[in-house]
Amino acid sequence: MAVSPTVDPAEPQDLAAFDPQSGSRVERVLFNNRLIVVCLCLVMTLVLGWQASALRLNASFEKTIPRQHPFIAAYMEHQQDLRGLGNAVRIVVSNGGRSIYEAAYLDTLRQINDAVFLTPGVDRSFMKSLWTPNTRWIGVTEDGMDGGPVIPDGYDGSAASLGQLRVNVARSGEIGQIVALDGTSSALYVPLLSALPDGTPFDYAAFSQKLEEIRQRFERPGLTLHVTGFAKIVGDLIDGLREVLLFLAVAIVITTVCVLWFTRCVRSTALVVVSSMTAVVWQLGLLPTLGMALDPYSILVPFLVFAIGMSHGAQKMNGIMQDIGRGVHKYVAARLTFRRLFLAGLTALLADAVGFAVLLVIDIQVIRELAIAASLGVAVLIFTNLILLPILLSYTGVSAAAAARSLKTDNARQTTGVKHPVWAFLDRFTRREGAMVAVLGGVALAAVGLWGAEGLKIGDLDPGAPELRPDSRYNRDVAYINAHYGASSDVFAVMVETKGDGSCAGYEALRRLDALEWELRQLEGVETTNSLAQLNRDVLSGLNEANPKWGELIKNQAMLNFVTAGAPRGLYNEACTLLTLFVYLKDHKADTLDRVVARVERFAADNDTPDIRFRLAAGSAGIEAATNIVVKQAWRQMLYLVYGAVMLLSFVTFRSWRAVLVAVLPLMLTSVLAEALMVWLGMGVKVATLPVIALGVGIGVDYALYILSVTLAMMRAGMGLSEAYYRALIFTGKVVILTGVTLAAAVATWAFSDIKFQADMGILLAFMFLWNMVGALVLLPALAYLLLPGGASPATETSAATGKGTANNSMADKDTTANSMANGWTA
Amino acid sequence: MRRCNGAARIALAGALALGGFAFAGAAGAAPVAEPLDRPATLVRQPERAAFQALAAAGGRLVAVGERGVIALSDDKGASWRQAKVPVSVTLTAVAFPTPTLGWAVGHYGVVLHSRDGGESWVKQLDGVAAARIIADSLPKDGPSHRIGQLVEEGPDKPFLDLFFPTADTGFIVGAFGLALRTDDGGKSWSSLTLALPNPDGLHLYAIRAGRGNAGDQTLYIAGEQGLLLRSDDGGHGFTRLSTPYRGSWFTAAVDASGALVLGGLRGNAFRSTDRGESWQPIELPAPVSVTAATSGSGRLLLANQAGQILMARDGATPVAPLPTPPLPTPTGLLDSGDGGLVVATLRGLWRVPQPNR
Repeated sequence: MAVSPTVDPAEPQDLAAFDPQSGSRVERVLFNNRLIVVCLCLVMTLVLGWQASALRLNASFEKTIPRQHPFIAAYMEHQQDLRGLGNAVRIVVSNGGRSIYEAAYLDTLRQINDAVFLTPGVDRSFMKSLWTPNTRWIGVTEDGMDGGPVIPDGYDGSAASLGQLRVNVARSGEIGQIVALDGTSSALYVPLLSALPDGTPFDYAAFSQKLEEIRQRFERPGLTLHVTGFAKIVGDLIDGLREVLLFLAVAIVITTVCVLWFTRCVRSTALVVVSSMTAVVWQLGLLPTLGMALDPYSILVPFLVFAIGMSHGAQKMNGIMQDIGRGVHKYVAARLTFRRLFLAGLTALLADAVGFAVLLVIDIQVIRELAIAASLGVAVLIFTNLILLPILLSYTGVSAAAAARSLKTDNARQTTGVKHPVWAFLDRFTRREGAMVAVLGGVALAAVGLWGAEGLKIGDLDPGAPELRPDSRYNRDVAYINAHYGASSDVFAVMVETKGDGSCAGYEALRRLDALEWELRQLEGVETTNSLAQLNRDVLSGLNEANPKWGELIKNQAMLNFVTAGAPRGLYNEACTLLTLFVYLKDHKADTLDRVVARVERFAADNDTPDIRFRLAAGSAGIEAATNIVVKQAWRQMLYLVYGAVMLLSFVTFRSWRAVLVAVLPLMLTSVLAEALMVWLGMGVKVATLPVIALGVGIGVDYALYILSVTLAMMRAGMGLSEAYYRALIFTGKVVILTGVTLAAAVATWAFSDIKFQADMGILLAFMFLWNMVGALVLLPALAYLLLPGGASPATETSAATGKGTANNSMADKDTTANSMANGWTA
Repeated sequence: MRRCNGAARIALAGALALGGFAFAGAAGAAPVAEPLDRPATLVRQPERAAFQALAAAGGRLVAVGERGVIALSDDKGASWRQAKVPVSVTLTAVAFPTPTLGWAVGHYGVVLHSRDGGESWVKQLDGVAAARIIADSLPKDGPSHRIGQLVEEGPDKPFLDLFFPTADTGFIVGAFGLALRTDDGGKSWSSLTLALPNPDGLHLYAIRAGRGNAGDQTLYIAGEQGLLLRSDDGGHGFTRLSTPYRGSWFTAAVDASGALVLGGLRGNAFRSTDRGESWQPIELPAPVSVTAATSGSGRLLLANQAGQILMARDGATPVAPLPTPPLPTPTGLLDSGDGGLVVATLRGLWRVPQPNR
């Protein structure tokens, strides 16, 4: 494969002399039917563009879960019995610091309750607030137990009924749950269905919008609504996607301006942008065609496709421009460039596609969909930017002034013998001292990077929703709720399976559960717990006139059965074969989750019996723990696979393991440094950041493939490393710098995004674009010097030592193939 | 409205009476032991556990609570550390007749004893042994006594209060009228259950000594459904007194003058200056149960389930809530001896400023 030097020495420069039957079969088919190709692409664009208009923005809770993980498998097994645990929002209605026992507040709360109740997707039977009948109080009188809904019978907003409500709430056990600890707000707990009764999937965007409408409608001075929960995060993210489109537009403008500045040719710049945009349209059109939606996690894919498209398109355009500058006819120039770069481009794109496809091994649906979307997008680029673009350029050509300019530096050097200072600087790395400095520098950086990356954490590191900025409305709401309610929103649930109907009330199961609960409460990061064992303690006290001295789990099976019979569902299931232990955590940091998981696993190992099994895990934190475990495992696995794929493709291209090392080692340095950067910036490895490094490797290899393939071709043709590398720089290096800088600048703007993980991705990607470029330009020649056969050959040294001015002449002394190559590349 | 009235009560008694116990033996590497055999876990924040009672051991404060947690403070309640306790049951009461010798009682019929001011504890008695003592005391040929059925069921019944006039003599009272007495510092116990005029086996929640003239041998036991018993002979014979409320008494206090105060269900509190013969109501601001009471330094302090702490000067009936933030379910009150007041609650131990003296 590679850039095979198939250019005929007597390559004709004008159209009449060009043999349309020359070149590869692919080239002949495409260019001899170029109008048909253009028309087909136009039709595709129209069809897929129409499809793209049906693209939905959505996210699904289930899709962010690693479904094969044992925790999740256990959760799925018991999902019916754990309804409402997986996915719920909490709406806190705050009375502006005043007590909630005011008629006006309660009236508004009732209206909010009704509005939320009627919102599609709400699991109404499990919804809970002061106004739902399942919020009950239990009390004692001289005659025994008494109980009822907390809203008293015949509530009329009078001082008496407000007073009764206050008393009922005090004995409902809901303080810290439904009513804030300080009594100035109350909450609506709103579990969500995963699908509506008619089977359509839950629409997060619509639900979130409904919540915002409710917020708009009822908020007034002194009465605020605070909303938390996965659905709200996703809603905010989907809102943020509109902003993402703006960033996409900014990126396109920056990139276009840079390319235009580079080429000074409106025509060709427009074509590169249009073909890259075409790829984006196709990719977006293919998603709904395949039944997929765009979710917040795959939102970066269109930009990636565009970025990669720009990189390859600019390479094509640069080649054609240089040929035209040398006086070649635009059609011939397009074909010759296609001939030279198609395989390199194809290899690079395939490397990208494989690199992205590697993400499919990760058992998290959103990452898989991102992998599919990115692979599709890259595959599409083969058509739009490797085929359509040269064909379009063969029609339009480039502006003559731009074409002439593109050769200026090279011509200048040929006439004056002076390389452009940038190339002269980079040339140093092909020599002994420069190469040693670069490689040693690289090793030192790798050491620093590895040291820095030691502290890399798995999972979310920030409280609240790390997808959003710490000062976002959502995270302020989370902070408010955590401050005013004892229990946090980070719930870790342990499932205790018992054998036989009614067995969940057994003393053996309950006392083990009770012991585990107490052990967990001693862990740092565990705020409180709840279970049927705890309920037994509370209810026994309740049955004894609420005397607190009776708070104990007593060894009396009849009593335990009696308490269990009256206990609310949720702590155990209908058949009484499953107990749930709820562990409320201070945060969902990996350390906190690891502690809980480790303790429960150890307890289970010691205490599981044939009839009693402790199983992890459900609840938001339980699912997060499973996700962390999968992400941690996937992290290394993914890197091995993506590097394996890239190395395999590089080997197929270069047929030399030395060349593979030259191409891949700079990428590895980038990966290591990116991990160190993540530590430094406080980013954890999670669903949102996991793909970025794989993507970074895939994109980075492009640069190396373009530069190294040309360098190798030149060296095989007999040139020394210095000259071969210089040729590669002239031919492709300029574009590598161009794309590296412009794409980095474009993604760097994401740092201003309201979506935290997009900002994180932007910073990481900008770093990887830039550093991969530096690696390709500095480390690659240095490694080539050290590793490639002939890299440090005396011929090179001599050629270099002879002086820059004689380079062209010394080249001319080499064999004819090299000479013809030189002609082919530089006229 | 769900009104269970007697149903729950009957179910409770029935459940306890009928409770047969059958469970499969546990397998596994090192499964957790049952609460009577499991030393109390060292907890992260001992001062935030659920506590049931407080006592002074000389200058040291000792608090007992859930799952065998016993917390000690040598700085008047500013900081707490956890003692070594051989059981993990809820402890309900504690007393130190001397600065070093103390006893604590709790669920599963447990009696713990410390000889080092609360640092370490040993189990002196548990529900199994207590049941045997009580069963042995029952007349063999008499009519089947309800107590007799109850004691056969194993260690599922709690002791709820204790009183040690000396380091040798002590009384413990508990659920279903269970009561024991020791005269050798807990080495041996004898049943007091049948000596109590409590044929229905009502729960006994509080035991207090009268504090009249020197040599006062008065003992009071207060409990469920308005039960009040008095002994005039140092706990050998008891008589039943009538009280002006049929709800349960949860706590009691005797002030320096010997006046008895009972606090109970739904904000009912009464004072008697004639050893329980006649009563004056104490008006409380909220109809919620009184769960703790203490008397000293010329004033009475009551705590209710709403978390209020109420104060009255001795002999004066008006009570006023202290300006403290509501404390979650107070269970015990103790003068820390330095102008502070330590409150045991279900959410930990709190030090609040003492009202002006």
